[in-house]
Amino acid sequence: MISGESILYCLINAGIILLLSPLFLTIVKKVKARMQGRQGPPLFQMYYNIVKLLSKEVVYSKTSSWIMRTTPVVCMAVMILAALFVPVIFIPESFGGIGNIILFLYILAFGRFMISLAGLDAGSSFGGMGSSREMSLSAVIEPTIIVVAAALATVLGTLDIFEMISKTSVADIATMPTLLLISVSLFLILIIETSRIPVDNPETHLELTMVHEGMILEYSGRNLALMELSHAVKQAVYMGLLIGILVPFGIINAGSLLIPGIIIAAVLFLIKGSVLAVVIGLFESSMSKMRFFSIPTLFMIAFFFSALTIIIEVFA
Amino acid sequence: MVNSPDKGNIFDNTAVNYEKIVLPNPAGFKEKVISLKESGSVLLCLLCLEDPSSKDVFRLIYLFENFDYMQVSEIEYVTDGSAISVSELFPVASLYEREISDGFGVVFEGSYDRRRLFLHESYPDNFHPLRKSFLNGPIKTRDEIPEEDLYVFKRLEGKGVYEVAVGPVHAGIIEPGHFRFSVIGETIFNLETRFYYLHRGIEKLAEGKKPDECLKIAESVSGDEAASNSVCLCLAVERIAGIKPSLRAEALRGIALEMERICSLLSDCAGMLTDVGYPIGASPFMARKEECMRIIKRLFGHRFMRGYMRIGGVSHDIVSTELLVLESFIAGIEEKVKEAYNNAINSSTLIDRLATTGIIEPRFVRPLNLTGPVGRASGSRRDVRADYPYGIYKSFTPELFSSDAGDVLSRFMIKSEDIMASARFIKKIICEMPEGEINDINHEIPDGCAFAMVEGARGQNLTYLNVYNGTVWRYKVRTASFTNWLSIEHAVMNNIVPDFPVINKSLNLSYSGNDL
Repeated sequence: MISGESILYCLINAGIILLLSPLFLTIVKKVKARMQGRQGPPLFQMYYNIVKLLSKEVVYSKTSSWIMRTTPVVCMAVMILAALFVPVIFIPESFGGIGNIILFLYILAFGRFMISLAGLDAGSSFGGMGSSREMSLSAVIEPTIIVVAAALATVLGTLDIFEMISKTSVADIATMPTLLLISVSLFLILIIETSRIPVDNPETHLELTMVHEGMILEYSGRNLALMELSHAVKQAVYMGLLIGILVPFGIINAGSLLIPGIIIAAVLFLIKGSVLAVVIGLFESSMSKMRFFSIPTLFMIAFFFSALTIIIEVFA
Repeated sequence: MVNSPDKGNIFDNTAVNYEKIVLPNPAGFKEKVISLKESGSVLLCLLCLEDPSSKDVFRLIYLFENFDYMQVSEIEYVTDGSAISVSELFPVASLYEREISDGFGVVFEGSYDRRRLFLHESYPDNFHPLRKSFLNGPIKTRDEIPEEDLYVFKRLEGKGVYEVAVGPVHAGIIEPGHFRFSVIGETIFNLETRFYYLHRGIEKLAEGKKPDECLKIAESVSGDEAASNSVCLCLAVERIAGIKPSLRAEALRGIALEMERICSLLSDCAGMLTDVGYPIGASPFMARKEECMRIIKRLFGHRFMRGYMRIGGVSHDIVSTELLVLESFIAGIEEKVKEAYNNAINSSTLIDRLATTGIIEPRFVRPLNLTGPVGRASGSRRDVRADYPYGIYKSFTPELFSSDAGDVLSRFMIKSEDIMASARFIKKIICEMPEGEINDINHEIPDGCAFAMVEGARGQNLTYLNVYNGTVWRYKVRTASFTNWLSIEHAVMNNIVPDFPVINKSLNLSYSGNDL
């Protein structure tokens, strides 16, 4: 079942996402800075940060256990695994269950579970608050995400992300207009899952308002580097999914695998990802963070668009 | 009594009746205070000083104000170490009483809170630095703190109640302060603040110095209130010595004070928007603040206007061409702030965050003596500039804005309106700039004492100065932050923890101005 082609897929797909994800995150920062009239960081800032953090010493809180020590590695592994589910260069044959959207969602949920547990592990009140908020939010967001996945499955007639993208890449978006509705949901899920404004403030210095930053507050050195990189990969994976559904052109089928094709697909992914990152930056700049208890209304919008899609698909 | 009391009014408002009552002993004091409380008075300040003639005899001076009846009462009595607490009647008195207990060792009978205030646990027992018998110098702190001396926070107990301790070290580069929240889920049920991590002994430092040497000390009470605190000291000295600064000097002081207000309020507005995650709305305010500080540096020689105020005047004149530069600059500021304000106020997500958040009810204004934009956002109509005009404000009355809502949004709106009003005020002064000398160089400061009040960006700043044998015997500063900090404990009630930063920023009080 594991063929040479699937090994090649794993290397290329995970490699490209891993390589480009810090760039996308920095582009968002840059756009936000420009909107505020600031210069913003250089485009490669996050790469420099990661290199810097990797060479720094790691400090653990006295109360922490093995959870704190393993979480960064687990998170990184989870995100790389999740990256295999979303083809951005070419679409291989399904192998070993890779590609199932339900599995994909719960692999990400496992990562979130580990981060929340580790937030409690360090024993600081901010980590605890962050974890408690993350868990309250995920209790509301999980049903929403499942409905979004269900909507995708209804429209494209499959639970396999590989098959979904191979369908969208040959079909015209005009023949499946409901995909536009799902894309709205997917975009909101992308914002929510990557802890961005209006749900959470990724640049916060305010320990009392933090959700995601609160949980990773106690990390240092290479552990912090892994946590930040895995967060960037998570964002890139969701971006890849949205791109694959909405603008899949350029992603090649396994049958016509050639070096120039791979390069073109990679460049196209870079361009599409950058454009999406700019859109995220503009979206974030356009509003303030929501009150914590009104965040579920945002989930409701995502839920609404997906539920609407299912209704249209079933009854139309 | 060594100092002869001031003749006439202690603050410049001829419409206000001023009474000074000196009681030889505490008898009859309580009755007087109760009648003041019943008439709706506000405790402006309570201070203590050691009598220069006899050792270990303390004079307590209470300053009450009743603006309904246009009455200011100064009550003074002498004690040798025990006094009567008025904290049950005037809650804000509790802070002053704890401060005096720490500084002088005076015990207040009947007070509900006798914990230490500015001397934290590690200071030794029976250490009272404001007594004259203590000479300024390093002291030995305690390593082991006895159980009974540990600082006890109010504790709420029950199912699901937990405490969140924040500070004194914060995640941002800000001053130190400790906040102890009692929380259920995300809802705040109690907040207790603890400060004085920045206590520098400002008041003790001033003692024994010549009044003009104290200007540097007054400037460092709080970084961004350098002009208001130094003008406040100047007013007190000028009142003692009977100096009258020239009109031009007063106009220049007025420009400096209003520029300082603009800077401070601009950063408040920016801070509020940043803290709800709306940096795009905050950046125009922040950029304007930097522009203001640059022009302040150009005109006054220092970004925080340090060294500009002099007793009897200001350090240097500003030529008319520079004033014209300032005039056109300030017109631009007014316009740009208006635009930034309109953009912010038209964002629905922002209004959703600010409205109904952190309400300070108008009923807290008098008991806690809340002043400045914080007080005016909660229904107060008070402003020292209008009530007890000093300097340029005798000829020009500033515009005052007020609201009854008491939430973060109303504080944001009032602070923004204040910025634009200050800009218009500066333009008005420049248009009618008086000519003349700016500095009254030769002045002898006789012995005496005086109060002075100035409206800083955060509210009412009060100074008491007592000069004895040509040097400062007692210098008491009470910034607006000292009393306004009390409001935060009420503002956060029933709000959620993630909203605390924006509530805190909407008050934007000074830690160093409080800790002294």
